[in-house]
Amino acid sequence: MNCKAIHKKLIFFLENDLPLNEMEEIRLHLAGCQECAAFADYMKKSLSVLDQERNPDVNPFFYTRLKARMENQAIKETVTPLWARILQPAVFTLLLLAGVYAGIKIGQPAKINIQESYYAEQEMFPYLYEMAAEPIETFLME
Amino acid sequence: MSEAGIIEKLKEGNEKAFSDLVSTYQKMVVNTCYGLLHSIEDAEDVAQDVFIEVFRSASGFRGDSKISTWIYRIAVNRSLNFIRDHKGRRGFKSLDEITQLPKTLTGDNYSESGGDPHSDLENSQRSILIHAAIDELPKNQRIAFTLNKYEDLSYKEISEIMNLSLSSVESLIHRAKKNLQKKLYNCYKKKCI
Repeated sequence: MNCKAIHKKLIFFLENDLPLNEMEEIRLHLAGCQECAAFADYMKKSLSVLDQERNPDVNPFFYTRLKARMENQAIKETVTPLWARILQPAVFTLLLLAGVYAGIKIGQPAKINIQESYYAEQEMFPYLYEMAAEPIETFLME
Repeated sequence: MSEAGIIEKLKEGNEKAFSDLVSTYQKMVVNTCYGLLHSIEDAEDVAQDVFIEVFRSASGFRGDSKISTWIYRIAVNRSLNFIRDHKGRRGFKSLDEITQLPKTLTGDNYSESGGDPHSDLENSQRSILIHAAIDELPKNQRIAFTLNKYEDLSYKEISEIMNLSLSSVESLIHRAKKNLQKKLYNCYKKKCI
């Protein structure tokens, strides 16, 4: 077996996942190849981290904290009953929709009935153009 | 008490049964979550969620599988949800990001062995690197590898938890190990540690 083949099987060798003859072959290669032995050592140390991490210490307050959390959640659920949790967003949604509708209505330009307003415009004409009827020069002369 | 008995008691809201269930499975759940999350605080938080879900959904447990299989499934799902929800957090770095860090920065969580600081730092770096390498594995490979490595579960037990065939689990773990070896070899060549 060459170094490349050893590298491919190293993790299985370290985990004793290979047939006996291959295990022996790799063991012999590692004994004679410094580079592969160094990588095998690196892999072994890296994998041993996982073995060290297994079964972390049990927190003695785990159950107490769990109970406290469950009680807090239960209190929250009783404070805000189900109907309130559904009704509240529904009311807010309706208010929002009403606000949007009002906004659209306010933002629309007023529709003018041209035929009716024509006469009104005529009637307003003298007042709107009052200065034309009585120019400032005439006013000052007087 | 039999498993059916425990579930019956849980359905009735029996606190003693729940307390017994927690003390029986606490270590298993925390260890499983820790294998996927690599943080004991996060693992305990998620483990609490797992037991809350177990208590609330006991009525829905049909007894088709063992209680431990059911709890493992919840623990794995909850841990994966936690990872998804906290993806941007500092704890979940890719292997590339970690190998870019200066070596002194990667050793920010010393072990409390009180031993040689250099070896502590090296172990800490190794731990961060192997966690990052595991986190980069595809989801199913990561789950199968973690259950096998951290919980020492047999391929059959893993296949029951993951609802996969035995050969699929064998293949997943084989590929996970190969991928892990490839990632560690790249790191070894770059002299990360």
